[in-house]
Amino acid sequence: MSDFKVTIRSRDNNIHVLELKGYLDAHTTPALEDSFQKMLNEKKYRLIVNCKELSYISSAGLGVFMAFIEDVRANDGDIKMSDMSPKVFNIFDLLGFPMLYDIVPAEEEAAKKFDMTK
Amino acid sequence: MRLKKILLLFGAIILSVVVFIVNAATKNVDLAATMLQYVRTTCILLTFAAIYFYIQIVKREKQRGIVQGIGSVAIFAGIFLGTYLIISFLPLKGFETRDLTLYPRDYQTIFFSSIISIVSGIFAIVSLLFIKDLILYKRKKNTLRNFLILIGSIVITSLSELIDKPLEDSAVSVIFLVIAILMIIVNSFRLAWIAYLPRKEKVYSLLYSLLSFFGFLIILVIISSEAGWTEKGIHYYSSALFTFVRITSIFGTVYFGMSFVSTLFHLPTAEAFDRKQTEISSLHNLGRLINQVFDLKDLAETATKMAAEVVQATSVWLEIIPTEGSFHKSGLMSQRNIDDQEIEAILSGGEKSVRSVVCQTKKVLMIDDISTDAMTKHLPKMKKTGSLLIVPLLSHEQVIGIVYATKEINFGFDKDDVDILAGFADQVAIAIENARLIERSFEKERLQRELMLAQEMQQRLLPQHLPVFATVDMKAVSSPALEVGGDYYDYVMIDEELVGIVIGDVSGKGVGAAFYMAEVKGIFQSLARIYRSPRDFMIKANGALVSSIDKRSFISLIYATINVKTGELIVSRAGHCPMLYIGGGKKEYVKQVGIGLGITSGKIFDESVEEQKIMMKSGDVCVFYTDGVTESRASNGDEFGYDRLLEVVDAHKHLGAEEIKEAIIQTVWNYTDAKGYHDDLTVFVVKWT
Repeated sequence: MSDFKVTIRSRDNNIHVLELKGYLDAHTTPALEDSFQKMLNEKKYRLIVNCKELSYISSAGLGVFMAFIEDVRANDGDIKMSDMSPKVFNIFDLLGFPMLYDIVPAEEEAAKKFDMTK
Repeated sequence: MRLKKILLLFGAIILSVVVFIVNAATKNVDLAATMLQYVRTTCILLTFAAIYFYIQIVKREKQRGIVQGIGSVAIFAGIFLGTYLIISFLPLKGFETRDLTLYPRDYQTIFFSSIISIVSGIFAIVSLLFIKDLILYKRKKNTLRNFLILIGSIVITSLSELIDKPLEDSAVSVIFLVIAILMIIVNSFRLAWIAYLPRKEKVYSLLYSLLSFFGFLIILVIISSEAGWTEKGIHYYSSALFTFVRITSIFGTVYFGMSFVSTLFHLPTAEAFDRKQTEISSLHNLGRLINQVFDLKDLAETATKMAAEVVQATSVWLEIIPTEGSFHKSGLMSQRNIDDQEIEAILSGGEKSVRSVVCQTKKVLMIDDISTDAMTKHLPKMKKTGSLLIVPLLSHEQVIGIVYATKEINFGFDKDDVDILAGFADQVAIAIENARLIERSFEKERLQRELMLAQEMQQRLLPQHLPVFATVDMKAVSSPALEVGGDYYDYVMIDEELVGIVIGDVSGKGVGAAFYMAEVKGIFQSLARIYRSPRDFMIKANGALVSSIDKRSFISLIYATINVKTGELIVSRAGHCPMLYIGGGKKEYVKQVGIGLGITSGKIFDESVEEQKIMMKSGDVCVFYTDGVTESRASNGDEFGYDRLLEVVDAHKHLGAEEIKEAIIQTVWNYTDAKGYHDDLTVFVVKWT
């Protein structure tokens, strides 16, 4: 339907950032799944999902995070989320994600959190 | 038709008898231009007209091949010659010539003249009719015209004889004779039929043409020789007939002479021509047959077998390359007279293998000698494979499969094999496309049925009616976006006073969602009766769900118990859209913490769940809904949102639950420009009356 794009970029301290752009629903989840899978295959477990340009996320999109979080955490990594618009945050919040995931206002903050746990 | 035949035959005989009687009666008289002469001539013309129509009918009844036609001509020539021979042994006195007119010496001569004349006439007519078939075979623009000019000039030359005495020539007849001869030459080049004969028929044609040629030649000599009496006999009977027979004989001699020579030259290429013909017809048959096979596996096998036949290959194998979205994920293979190791050996070489080359170039690849060709000489020695022919199956410029054929000998395949296998490959490609389309439509239909079933199941999971109470008015509606949605609502009577109501959203859609919904219903109907506290219920429900559902699925739920006597409402939320409460001077969303069900187990969840108590009073309204309401979009992309929902409920709070529910649906509907709901949409309204 709408466009969705994932851009992967790396930061210091072996942190990788997935920038999401567009509309994440059942039709577009494979793109995000592939990106996560790629990270796992490359043994990259310190991940930040930058949601700055994410305009919508459906339940199927939320499911993708749930599918990968266990594996990531089992390898001493984490998926942290940042830069959510209030609307997107509301969707995460409604489901209680803030209790399960590290959701921070800015990417820098997430990176710092990783640094602390290094 | 039968009656017509009898009449024609009978008429011809009567007329012949009349002519004979006239001839006999006027044995020694020169009829010249008397009335009787006209009657006689008319009778003769009518006789042959009747014979002509009779032969036409018989010929049409016994449709025969053109080669048999030549045979018939040869037979009739034989009959003529036989009749001639018999008559020549009879002691006939013959004719006396006086003043360019013939006078028979006895009655036997008159009789046998009639016989030989009629036989010669029949022979001429039969010959022309069969030659006509030959000439008009594969006719071109001027074919019929040229033939008609020839017939016309023969007839005119013949009829012009009628105005003269039997042995006299006129200027008119000479002119038309010249035209007739010219047209004989022109028409004798019409031999197209020979090329299309199968080899065996060509041999027969050669034989019959030779026989007919000599038949015509001998007849021509006989009727042209003034020494014998035959020439005079026919002349005496009718000089027009004589001319007709003579020109026809010339035509026959020339035509069958030409056809003999031409057939002779065609014989060496007959085999190649035959092969082409069988190839074309077999290709046609293959195309038809192959399009009746819809199963890809069967299709591959049939195609392999046929390919082996068309090019007479030692071994053939066919590979169908899976397309994206195809249901055959692995490449489909069908092989004949070759095993996997050999195939693997031939196709080895990775990027430089013959297979890769064909896939890239999308062109036919022929390797005459596998042991010396640059592309294959690195391959291990093969005993059974000398030459190789590889043809891609193309559909919309995509390689959808490859046919491989091998022969033991080197240089086993020629240009014809390439053409025919390429033609065959086109047919197979079409058949594969067809089979795939059919498979896809079957699959689609199957899914459709499955969805229908799931939809039915889901509809049954929702309550048909909500209970009716004196104090509280409850109304609900649910409409799925797809055939099967993920929205769920239900109620349970915990005891006489306590009713539990639930509304939820199963992540995902379709059949999977319907199954989870069934599970949720089971859990709800059983646990709600056991755990009276909504919070306890949520904790137990999560415990049951988290272990049984897929890790990327979850269920958002909001659950409330209402005491229909006291108005006490206790609500607990697990990841679902918060309840809207308007009453007691407040209008707000009761936003509690609470993680969705099935996301996480144990303490984190348990600690997150809250419950809140509200005492409902007259006029209070509670609205439960799914995100389909708040996330409905206008054409500009804006969401309906929480504020609009609050506004519409507030504006209608004085009405009954049914009216409030309708107002919400209608407002959402108008907001989305009636393009249909964007998502599943469920609304549950509770009003304390």
